[in-house]
Amino acid sequence: MEPILQCIGLTKRFGTLGALDRVSFSVGPGEVVGLVGRSGAGKSVLADLLAGLMVPSDGEALIDGHRLRWPFQAPRHGVAVVPQRPALADRLDITSNIFLGAELGWPRRLGWLRFPDRRRMDHAALEVLATLELSVESLRAKANQLSSEQRQLIAIARAMVIPARLVILDEPTALLSYSSQQRLLGLIRSWQQQGIAVIFASSSLDHIFAVTDRVIVLNEGHKALDARTDSTSREQIVAALIGQGERQQLTPIIWALESYYSARDQSEHLRLQQRRLERDLAVQDSLNQQLIKQLAEQVKSLDQANLALQDAQRRLLTEREGERKYLARELHDQVIQDLLSVNFQLEDLQSEADEESGLSQELAEVRLSMRALVDDVRQICGNLRPPTIDSLGLGAALQSYTRDWAARTGVSVDLQIGESLGRLSEELELSIFRIVQESLSNVRKHAHARQVEVRLVSTSPRALGITIADDGAGLRSGLDLAALANAGHYGLLGISERVALLQGKLRIYNRPSGGLVIEAEIPHPRLPGTGAA
Amino acid sequence: MARDIARSTSPPRWRLLVARQELVILALLVVVSAGLSLLTGNFFAATNLLNLARNVSWFAVAAFGVGMVILIGGIDLSSGAVMALAGLVSAMLLQSGLPIWLAVPVGLLSGALVGLCNGVLVGIFNTPPFIVTLGMMGLVRGLTFGISGGRPVRDLPLAFRALGQDDIWVGPLLVPLPLLTMIVVALLVALMLRSTVLGRYIYTLGRDERALQVAGVRTERIKVVVYTFSGLLAACGGIIMTAWLGVAAPTAAADYELDIIAAAVIGGTSLFGGEGSVFGVVLGALLMQVVRTGMVLLGFPTYLQVGAIGMMIMLVVLIDNFRRRGLSR
Repeated sequence: MEPILQCIGLTKRFGTLGALDRVSFSVGPGEVVGLVGRSGAGKSVLADLLAGLMVPSDGEALIDGHRLRWPFQAPRHGVAVVPQRPALADRLDITSNIFLGAELGWPRRLGWLRFPDRRRMDHAALEVLATLELSVESLRAKANQLSSEQRQLIAIARAMVIPARLVILDEPTALLSYSSQQRLLGLIRSWQQQGIAVIFASSSLDHIFAVTDRVIVLNEGHKALDARTDSTSREQIVAALIGQGERQQLTPIIWALESYYSARDQSEHLRLQQRRLERDLAVQDSLNQQLIKQLAEQVKSLDQANLALQDAQRRLLTEREGERKYLARELHDQVIQDLLSVNFQLEDLQSEADEESGLSQELAEVRLSMRALVDDVRQICGNLRPPTIDSLGLGAALQSYTRDWAARTGVSVDLQIGESLGRLSEELELSIFRIVQESLSNVRKHAHARQVEVRLVSTSPRALGITIADDGAGLRSGLDLAALANAGHYGLLGISERVALLQGKLRIYNRPSGGLVIEAEIPHPRLPGTGAA
Repeated sequence: MARDIARSTSPPRWRLLVARQELVILALLVVVSAGLSLLTGNFFAATNLLNLARNVSWFAVAAFGVGMVILIGGIDLSSGAVMALAGLVSAMLLQSGLPIWLAVPVGLLSGALVGLCNGVLVGIFNTPPFIVTLGMMGLVRGLTFGISGGRPVRDLPLAFRALGQDDIWVGPLLVPLPLLTMIVVALLVALMLRSTVLGRYIYTLGRDERALQVAGVRTERIKVVVYTFSGLLAACGGIIMTAWLGVAAPTAAADYELDIIAAAVIGGTSLFGGEGSVFGVVLGALLMQVVRTGMVLLGFPTYLQVGAIGMMIMLVVLIDNFRRRGLSR
């Protein structure tokens, strides 16, 4: 097939600078030739030469077998040119720009003196703009009022109104949006089908591979590659772009460039996924936030319940102590006094009774059991409320209690009370007394111990340490208060509750040498006179 | 044509009043004329106005051509010399016995030829127009001295002098023939600039030459055509001037090239190209002539006129500057 354009050894030099060096190629009808090159490779120079705007230093070009003589008017040879930067007449309107150099008018034979036919041109311009899907407010808008993209589209529209057989597009997509780029590619395909040859310079290999039949790669003015698009690859093109000599050292770059497009797709994909993930995370996060909030509320209400419970227990204990105190006083002041007065009456009766009647003997026995009863009631009173604690304080109460306890149980008690220990609040002293009491009763019930050590010292001006250590059996397994409570043993549980109510710390552990140690540290407000301790 | 430019330079219609320098000049003209009529009393006398019209006519016709050259971003310094040459050629041919219908076209042709040379040098050989036309000015002026031997040509036929001196009844009005010629030429030039494809190219060439080149318009040919037009119109003005004066001198129209450029610039033609109108050029020429006549009427010495014209150019450019700044705001 006769080629439309034939270039033979086209050369352009600017002074000593060679812009284009013996470039030869030909373009057949309906052939789309992609022109690829880095900036400064000579693409635009070639486009300008073929547009007739620039005169070559050497070489020639033929259109339809006719030699071109520079400078020439490309449209006269059926060549439409869309330069890289749209060359529009800024002060002319859209229609005038589209038809610049190809004005429809009458009478035609007058040439430049013909009158332009605005209506016909407007009509045709609207059709072309519709094909390009370019909407403008008015065809009367001046070119300098348009955006870069609109200007580029008008430059393209210009190539559509002249009967072109060769269209030269120099980087037309650079100023276009994605959708316009796609329309342009479609336009190139339709030109191809109409048998119009296209030279399409582009730096996008995507576009080159999308529409071209052949690719020519320019490298520093030389033709570095001229191959059918189907039989070439991106790698080959990139290698030619960079140059044969540099291929070895630039292998990594080639690889990088080769995978550039897939990497770009992937990165786009990744970005999408990331965005989706971020959205999911945001949703999850807000759910978590809600859960945490609910949890916090539950914990708070639980805390409140706990506090209320502790408060209730504290009141319970206080009231129980009050009750015990009341009971002890009742027993002591009423029952014991009554018993004692009955005892005195019995004594009087005994002294008045006859010795031989045997009544005296019986009365003596009643009085004896009466005395034992009083002692028992005293004992109960002491247990209910240590009689000395209110008057003499914790130390004295413990001394008297342990002495009684040792006498009663036969387990020797070694009581050590810190010298600096003064009077504490009634509640605190009573609680500590109860803790010691519970511990000792625990020892009596379970430990089978022979000796108990009870130590009460100030560990700091604001804390009191209590240690009850025995040499008994100790705990068989690990400490499990719940299990003990289930088994009906409330001693240790009671101790731990009392310590907790006093905001103290409790440790219960087996001694290596055998026996159990109960250690509690109980904070208390600083008391006057204990500061130096 | 004036309307056409306005349309292409200032889209919002309400700004048209300020946007057009023609109106500024018109206002200035009215003010100056009113001042002169107050000061002299006989400014609006019929004879004075007719003389004014005659003087403006040939000047304006030459200015149309130069204005077109300025529109395409060029300059023509040879117009004064061409005026003298064309008048001289016609006069000498008439003296040698050639009929007027042949002598005048040959005179016009000589001017067109000079313009063609300018155009070819500027357009085809890409030489800076200032250099080309400056050289041409000297060349043509030398030629006028050469062919005339330095002597003026007098005793021109009455029929030829009628071109510059006769009045014609147009309906009830007695109109000087040069004025009529100017009006006809102005209408033709305006029609060409405003309504034809060529006019469109001329306006575009000054600012967007590359756009025309890419569109396949032979811009070098436009330049040739415009410079040729300029030569032709200068010749036309020169012949009318010669007919009006009744004598053709090699020294005629000396320094007129600058006055003509000044008239075009005062009339709103941009020295950067692409802006200007025939109407503006007429107004510019008229204003210059009015000032000149006024100074004569007021009894100022002739040499002060040059200074006055210079001041006027500066004043108008200053006003133009303020106007543009106001518009761009």
